This record gives sequence, C-alpha cells and structure tokens, in this order.
Amino acid sequence: MLDLLSQAALMLMRLDVILMIAAGMCLGIRVGALPGFTTVMAMAIVLPISFFLEPILGIPFLIGVYKGGIFGGSIPAILVSIPGTGAAIATTFDGPALTRKGQSRKALEMALVASAIGDFLSSFATVAIIGPIAMIALMIGPPEIAAILILSLLIIVVTSSGNFFKNMLMLLIGALLAMIGQDPIGAMVRFDFGFHALQAGIDLLPLVIGLFAIPEILLAMERRESSIVAGASTRPEGDRLRWADLRPCLRTIFRSTALGGVIGAIPGVGQVVAAIMGYSAAKNASKHPERFGKGELEGVAAPEAANNAVNGPTMVPLLTLGIPGDNITAIMLGAFVAQGLRPGPQLFQEQGALVYAILFSMLIACVLLLVIGYVLTPVFARLVTINKAYLVPLMLLFAVAGTYVYRSNPMDLWFMIAFGVFGYCTRKLSFDVTPLVMSFILMPPLEYAVGQSMLLAQDDVFGYLIGSRPITVAVLVLMPILIFWIAYRQRGRALA
Amino acid sequence: MIRIRNMLALAAAILGLAATPLAAQSYPERPISMIIPLGAGGSHDLNARVITSVLPEYLGQPVVVQLMPGAGGQTGTAAAAQAQPDGYTLLFTHNFIGQLQQHVARLPYDPNKAFVTVARVNTAQPVLVVRKDSPFKTWEELVDYGKKNPGKLRFGHSGNWGAFMVPGLALLKEVDVKATLIPYQGGGTVMQALLAGDVDFTFAFPSVLSGQDLRPLLIVGEEKILEGVPTTTELGFTTVSEIGVMHRPVLAPAGIPEDRLKKLREAFSKLNENKVYKELMDRLGENTAYMDGEKYDELRRRQSEEYKALVASFKE
Repeated sequence: MLDLLSQAALMLMRLDVILMIAAGMCLGIRVGALPGFTTVMAMAIVLPISFFLEPILGIPFLIGVYKGGIFGGSIPAILVSIPGTGAAIATTFDGPALTRKGQSRKALEMALVASAIGDFLSSFATVAIIGPIAMIALMIGPPEIAAILILSLLIIVVTSSGNFFKNMLMLLIGALLAMIGQDPIGAMVRFDFGFHALQAGIDLLPLVIGLFAIPEILLAMERRESSIVAGASTRPEGDRLRWADLRPCLRTIFRSTALGGVIGAIPGVGQVVAAIMGYSAAKNASKHPERFGKGELEGVAAPEAANNAVNGPTMVPLLTLGIPGDNITAIMLGAFVAQGLRPGPQLFQEQGALVYAILFSMLIACVLLLVIGYVLTPVFARLVTINKAYLVPLMLLFAVAGTYVYRSNPMDLWFMIAFGVFGYCTRKLSFDVTPLVMSFILMPPLEYAVGQSMLLAQDDVFGYLIGSRPITVAVLVLMPILIFWIAYRQRGRALA
Repeated sequence: MIRIRNMLALAAAILGLAATPLAAQSYPERPISMIIPLGAGGSHDLNARVITSVLPEYLGQPVVVQLMPGAGGQTGTAAAAQAQPDGYTLLFTHNFIGQLQQHVARLPYDPNKAFVTVARVNTAQPVLVVRKDSPFKTWEELVDYGKKNPGKLRFGHSGNWGAFMVPGLALLKEVDVKATLIPYQGGGTVMQALLAGDVDFTFAFPSVLSGQDLRPLLIVGEEKILEGVPTTTELGFTTVSEIGVMHRPVLAPAGIPEDRLKKLREAFSKLNENKVYKELMDRLGENTAYMDGEKYDELRRRQSEEYKALVASFKE
C-alpha cells in the first residue's frame, strides 16, 4: 500500500502534469463562467485531446477542466445573479447582494477558498477510505434516494424564511411545473396541453435564469445609480478576502464539506442538493439567520464548499466499479477506456499506482485552483464596475445567449421570459422562490425513485423496506426527530 | 465616401447572390451542424467527437456537434425534421428514437418520410448479463425460473423504450416470460443496481463488460462478440437480432439535393476507411460496422413495422 502511494507520488512529480492540469483549469473556468455552457460540454469537447496524451497527462487534464468549470459557474452567479449550473443556484442567494454592497472581490474569493477547501478535504477523504465509500455507494438504491429527497424537501420547508403558506404555495407550483412532460416510470406524456414543445418538459436552466437573473436586471434598471454597485467608490470591487473574514466561516465550510461528502453518494442530484443543504444548515446554525440572503459571506461559503465536496465521492463508483454516476464521470470513463484502462476492481489491482496518481492529481488540482483563481478573481470582480448603461444590456445578452446555447431550443427563451416576469412579480410581492426551484429540481428524481421502489417492492412495500432496506428505515425513523429539532430551534430563535 | 462604400456593399451583395448557384456545386461552403438528440457525455456524444474530428478531412468544412436532449430524443429529432433540407443540418441518432418512438408518442413528423439515411456509422450489441454470483448460470435457467414464477424476475433497463428495454421486451415476448420492468436513468445506474442486487438481470454494451463481476448469458445480434456465449441469432430469435441491436445512423432531412446527399454519403464511406477513425473507435470499444444509406433506409422501414408489433404486444 505505502509503496503504491509513493510510486503514485513519483509519477506526478513532473512539470508537464502540473501544466496540463493548469491548462485544463483555465479552460474550465472560462467555459464555466459563460452561462449556458456547462462543464460537461467543455469536457466532451476536449475529450479527444486526451486520447492523444498519455494517461497520466490526459486524465488530470480533464480533472482540471472539471474543477475549473465548477468554480467558473459560480462567477456569474455572484456577479450578475446568473447561475451557470444548478449547483450554483444557492450561490445566487447572497453573492449578488454582496456585489451590490461593493464586495464582489471578497465574495468571489470566499467562493474560491470554500470550493478549494471543500474539494480538497473530500478528495482526501476519498483517497483515504475509498473502499468503505464504495460499499456504501452500492447500498444506496432508489428507496434510500427517495427517503433522502423527502428529508431534503422537508428541511427546505422548515428552514426557508418568511411566510409558511407563501413558501408552501411556491413549493407546490415548483412540483407542478416539474411534472410537465413525460412521467418518469411509464413515459406517459402529461400536462402538455397538446403542445409538442411541452412534451420535453421545462428545463432547469431557463427556469433559474428567468427566476434569478431577469428580476435582477429589471430591478437594476429601476434604480437610478450609474453603477449596480451601491455607493461606487474608486475601488467598487472592494477589498480582498482577509483571514478575519475567513475565520468565522470555517465552521460553516467544514460543516458543508461533511454534508457534501455524504450527499456525494447520491447520483445525479448530488451537487444541487448539497449546495442547498449546506446553505440551509449554515442558516440554521447561524446566530444571525436574518442576515442570510442580504449579503452574508457565510451564505456564499456554505453552498460553495458543499457542492465541491460532492466531487470526490462521485469518482468512487467510477474507479471502484467502473460505473459512471453522472455525465461528468461518464466522460471520464470514456477517457479511461480510450487509454486502454478499464476502471473497476481489476484496474486497482493491476494499475494501483496509476489510479492513486490520478486521485492525487485531484488534490493537486485543488491547490492549483486556489492559485489560478487568486490571480483571476480581480479581473472578474472588476466586470461589475463598468457603467450600468453597458452592464445591464450585457447581462441581458448573457441571460438570453446562455439560455439558448444550452440546448438550442427557441422554446426555452419563451420559458425564460415567462419565468422572468413571474420572478419579478414574486420579488415585488416578497415571495421566496427558493422552495419553487428546490421542488422543481427534487420532484423528478423523487418521483422516479418512489416509482422504482414500488416496482422493486413487488406489491409488498413494508415487507420489502423492513426486510432489505435498513438505511431507508433508519432515515424514515430519524426524519421526524430531525425535522422537529430544526423547527424547534427556528421557533426558539423567532421568539428570542 | 459613404456612397462609395454603400455601392461596394451593394455590388458585393449582388455578386453574392449571383454566386449562390455556383456555390451549390462547391457544397459544403460553411460548417455543417450535426444534431444529437441526446445529452452530453453519452455514447453518442463520445462517438460524435471521434467522427467530427476526422470527417472534415473529406468534407473540407468543420462538423459541429449540437446537443439537443429532451422528450426521450424527440426535441432534437423534431428540430432536425423541421430544418432546411440543404445538407447543413444532420441528425446523429439511434433506431429506438428514430423508429420506435413514433409508436409510443405523438410526433409532429413521420420519421420514415422526414429523413433519408446518409450512413449507418456503427452498431452496438447489448449483452444480457447477471451478477457473477447469480443462481442463473445460463439463459435457459433464467427462462425456466421466469416461467415458473411469473412477474418475479426483476429486469432493470436504461430507460423507457431505450436500448435495453427493447431487446429485453422482445426476448421476453419470444420466450413468453413475464417479468417486472424497472426503469433506471441510463446504463450506468442500472449496472450499479445489478451489482447491488436490486435487479436480477440487465444488459450491457461490450465496451462496459470487461473487468466487471458479471456473467454474460446471451448476446443480442448476429456477431458472436464473446466466446462461449450464445447469440439470439443462434437461438433462432431472428426478430430480436434485427430490432434489439442499437444502430447509430446519420440522417439528413428529406428533400436534400441529390448531389449533396451523394457527397455526404461518399464522405462517410471514406471515413470508414480512415485509420485514425478506426483506431479511435476501437479505443472507445465501438465497432465500425458501416452500412450505406440506401440499405439502411430499407432496414429502417422493416424495423418500424417490427416495433409497431412489439409495442402493441406490450400494451395488451
């Protein structure tokens, strides 16, 4: 074991490996920062490049693109409230508010540091305990996913701020919107009102760009200042992040990392759920929950640490079983296979050093992310300081282009406009759209998982759960206790 | 000064118009876009990356991949069906989206009339697999158990009317076994479910097979790609062989000018002789079982009829 690790470390002691990761990372940050271009697209496009490189260069290169892309996605979320990916949604809660307060640089650097810490720790834990994680990953099936998603939805309801009934209404609207299209189990088309365009359902990206970016643009137009940054001074991007800013957030970062690492075992929805859970948990633990959503640094640190902490565990099923859990790991699988390496138990035995070298390259990528991000953030942070007369049209352009390039569907633009108007109205009427977005994201996998569980149970749900699904039973039993505890804490604080 | 510039612009515009018929001979004169009605990172995406990195050698223009997932592949397919048939929009799809879905969903086009085939690029033969420690040692044992315990067998597949559900249904119909069908999101998650013991059997493509704790029981199709495992053709399930294999064709909207179609077909036939292309496909674990467009157009119509019968039998 030890000599495997030292062999692996030696394989990485090469300048070209570091350079390839850095090159991939710069590319990833650039693509990720453009709304509508996802990390998956960037990786798919550069994949053929990795075919012609040796494995120890090609795969770390892709890892660089991956990590860079995820961080890049939070840049437009913080600056102009356009979440590049689902994972960056929670970052739009506090990021743009910080930008308006003239702290865009601090917010970006907080996102960077939180991402790097979350990613580093979860990658490190992955390397250390890859065996047990692989075993747990196999125990997570549809019933467990269903139980965890129900828990997530309940936590969102009890932790969201404002009027309970308004929140429930938003939750319901989100769930109904998510049901448009084909049902996940029987593939029956529903709620399409006879329009073919609705058969595909509504995609997440037009919805979130409409709900978050368009109201932001409209509100910026209403204000009379010439800059979107309030009280613009000579340095509207604000100061660097200082240790004094970071230290109070460390607890939040570690909590989010732990949460993200555990949620990483759920395929597909991992990052989005982790980010929101990290945010909710931070708000719940904070002494000043009322400051969240109004420009709190912890509100950026929490989701960023959580969604990056997902990255480590998602690699586990790929490396140990050769199974890609999502599209990103599917591309990684393509890169491995093209190199003549077949991920799975045998690869670990035959090429252990190489596998560990690739895992180590994930750690190096985290450190590089800090360095590269540190150099790039001042450039990005200054973006919002240009005159509003140019910035607002530019934001609109990015919102429209981002919606369209994602899947080249003109229908998505109509959805974006409709949700933009809806989002503007809800802002004015002080409805919180978070429950809507969350139920919109969580409903389809929940419906899927419940349907699959019913089929797996073969007409004996209780017998099946108790007999062969101990984790599900544990989650279901603990659920009311946890919810009451959170609700109790929230109430206690409201009275105090 | 401004006038002169305007005059020049006008002249250029007129020349440009005049040049159009000439340009038709030099097709393609701008990048060609290839719509994939599926998401990023899937096998079509990976295949397309290889194709589009070599194909420009023969067309002289870049080929741009455009991913348009949604509605089980129908969003992208409908967009391609409605595109100008000028040879600048192609569709890279598979037979389950192309020929089966017309029987299970309402479509705004007729797949057999809306497209002509440029070429079938390759095929992928699904292999029926169980876990290595499964009690089922052979295909016959699986069928025996299924016959004695109707509805007991759990068959996990990669999505409704997709690449694993179709051969599975066709096989179950052939041997008259009733099983519980459980849909998963893609081949990766269903494989995880099989290894976890949540389902009894599923399929896998050969590129996924090696190095796994799996036992292959039956190969769908004609080619005997694994030693010691029977194929559906050997067992006499010829219909399963014909409709259960995934074919990856490149289609063009119907009405494309003959000369352009010819040019595209030639390019794909040359592509299939290209060494780099063959090597990259081989590395991905894909075959290069090319079929020319006319032949595949015939096969496509046959598939359509057979899918119609399959869907009808499932809905009973």
